[in-house]
Amino acid sequence: MTALLGDYTLQNVMLGAALIGVISGVLGSFAVLRRESLLGDTLSHAALPGICLGFIVTGVRDMGSLLAGALFTAVVAALLMVGLTRRTRLKTDAGLAIMLSLGFALGVVLLTWIQNRGGAAQAGLDSFLFGQAAATTRADLLPMALLTAVALSGVVMLWKPLKLMSFDPEFAAVMGLPVRRIERLLTAMIALAVVVGLQMVGVVLMTAMIIAPGAAARQWAGSLLGMVLLAAGFGATAGISGGLISTLGPGLATGPVVVLVATALALVSLLIAPRRGLLPAWWRRRRRRSHTSTEQILQTVYELAREHGDWRYRVEQGAVDAYHGMITEPQLATLADRGLLISTEHMPDEGPHWRLTEKGQGHAAEQAKRRNERRRWRVRA
Amino acid sequence: MSDLRADIHTPHEPELALHIEDLTVSYGDRPALWDIDLNIPPGVLAGVVGPNGAGKSTLLKAILGLVPRSAGHVRLFGHPYKSQRKRVGYVPQRSSVDWDFPTTAVDVVTMGLYGQLGWWRWPGRRERDRALRALEEVGMEALADRQISELSGGQQQRVFIARALVQKPDLLLLDEPMAGVDATTERSIIDILSRLRSEGRTIVVVHHDLQTVQRYFDWLVFLNVRVIAAGEMAAVYSARNLRRTYGGQIALLDENGAAAPDAPGER
Repeated sequence: MTALLGDYTLQNVMLGAALIGVISGVLGSFAVLRRESLLGDTLSHAALPGICLGFIVTGVRDMGSLLAGALFTAVVAALLMVGLTRRTRLKTDAGLAIMLSLGFALGVVLLTWIQNRGGAAQAGLDSFLFGQAAATTRADLLPMALLTAVALSGVVMLWKPLKLMSFDPEFAAVMGLPVRRIERLLTAMIALAVVVGLQMVGVVLMTAMIIAPGAAARQWAGSLLGMVLLAAGFGATAGISGGLISTLGPGLATGPVVVLVATALALVSLLIAPRRGLLPAWWRRRRRRSHTSTEQILQTVYELAREHGDWRYRVEQGAVDAYHGMITEPQLATLADRGLLISTEHMPDEGPHWRLTEKGQGHAAEQAKRRNERRRWRVRA
Repeated sequence: MSDLRADIHTPHEPELALHIEDLTVSYGDRPALWDIDLNIPPGVLAGVVGPNGAGKSTLLKAILGLVPRSAGHVRLFGHPYKSQRKRVGYVPQRSSVDWDFPTTAVDVVTMGLYGQLGWWRWPGRRERDRALRALEEVGMEALADRQISELSGGQQQRVFIARALVQKPDLLLLDEPMAGVDATTERSIIDILSRLRSEGRTIVVVHHDLQTVQRYFDWLVFLNVRVIAAGEMAAVYSARNLRRTYGGQIALLDENGAAAPDAPGER
């Protein structure tokens, strides 16, 4: 293991993947909260022609100029998208989709053109499609670290405006914040995050890196700061463990493995996070079910009938389900077995209905009276 | 042009909390507000009523500079909004934000102080104390550290009001604060607003429920793209003005018994 960690290539891969995880986790949190998840997708696809342009202009595969080109076209695409949606009747999602396909098509055309032109130097440009982590060198890490530092210090300096704008943009404007300018800055910073990840993760999968850590962190965090820090942690974890996993077997592409780990973290969080997860919610419902007695359900039917001023009132099963937030048919059937309720004839298009029997009405009224007395005693005490 | 520039620096109608002249706002080619003239004196609790699409929310947004004005001007205490920002509180419609944001009630109220903190200072103990006091004013101090997604609609509305109160505004603008809240919350909101008025502040409330306007407000604006009538409640609340504002829908109001008899001052 220590020998493995000492491996030069692996060190580069893990360091790079950790950087990508941190920056995309931090900026992705804002994209997730502002419901702009598609923005990362558009930015990364629109970065592809920029990579090609960077190569055409300099003629060499120099990471700095490739990333500069990528940043340039990504930001241009974002600005065009904003202009498009503001001046025409296009909605944001349509504008994003148009710029995404436009950028990607342009990128692929330029890519094939460069490849057909021949020359050894063009080798490896297509690795930007799905990323190629193993090729990462120390020299590649420097621009990545620099861009990460720039984006993170931007977030720190703009923390309060970013928070205000993510929660309530209108209120931010009322307070005198230059909302549009800050929105453009945020978009540019998300573009930085995308560009940092391009070489290792690739344009196609980068969007998952932007969304997954933020979505995972949202499940656990109770504050924006907590969410952003946690997303950075999740992103770094995905980067480092993805890098390690990909060394386990030959032919395991690092970028996709990193994305798989990040997505797995998000899925697990969606399932098990204590307050918001699916499983805890299911568990709470189950517990409520076992605590909701048939007696309470009888009371619900009784109350509904009383509100309608008719104890023979036919109560729809769906209404009882909705009131208790669970399927109440078993309890209703039990009550029918005890002779307290009757399932009544209903119209062909409607769901099942129930009404009180005379015995059920007497029983429910007795219970309600007792309950009210208990409540009165509690109030006095 | 030159006298307009002078307008910005010398107070214009400073004795009025809100002074609007010739205001027109349009979305696309349809005017949302047309040639609005409106004066609201300080220290009143004013209601703005009108049918859907009458431009009630747009009026508040135009006052706050959130929507571009096609024509006209707005003065708050004699000055344009930009210089009066700190004296004005705004409570937007509750549905305008995503309440699933990861934050607590007291944190939302603290955000109301970000404007006063400027760009560089971070909120500290003092800001938290002020936010807690604002929450206390709306009876929400016990839920200060609760996640906002776990609050009821009425509680969320009170958090929004506290976010405006923490700025100690002289003029408070509220957009449908009673929409979708229970009767108890509505009662407590109107109590809070009445108390603020008795402290000498000016409050403008966009309201939708004609049954309660007479009880809640002492000043009334009938709005339907234009200002139909505005003034003290007793002077303007009349069946005629209701009919002129709501048009055909007035028959419904008569059934509910909401329409008032023609006021004595009615021409």
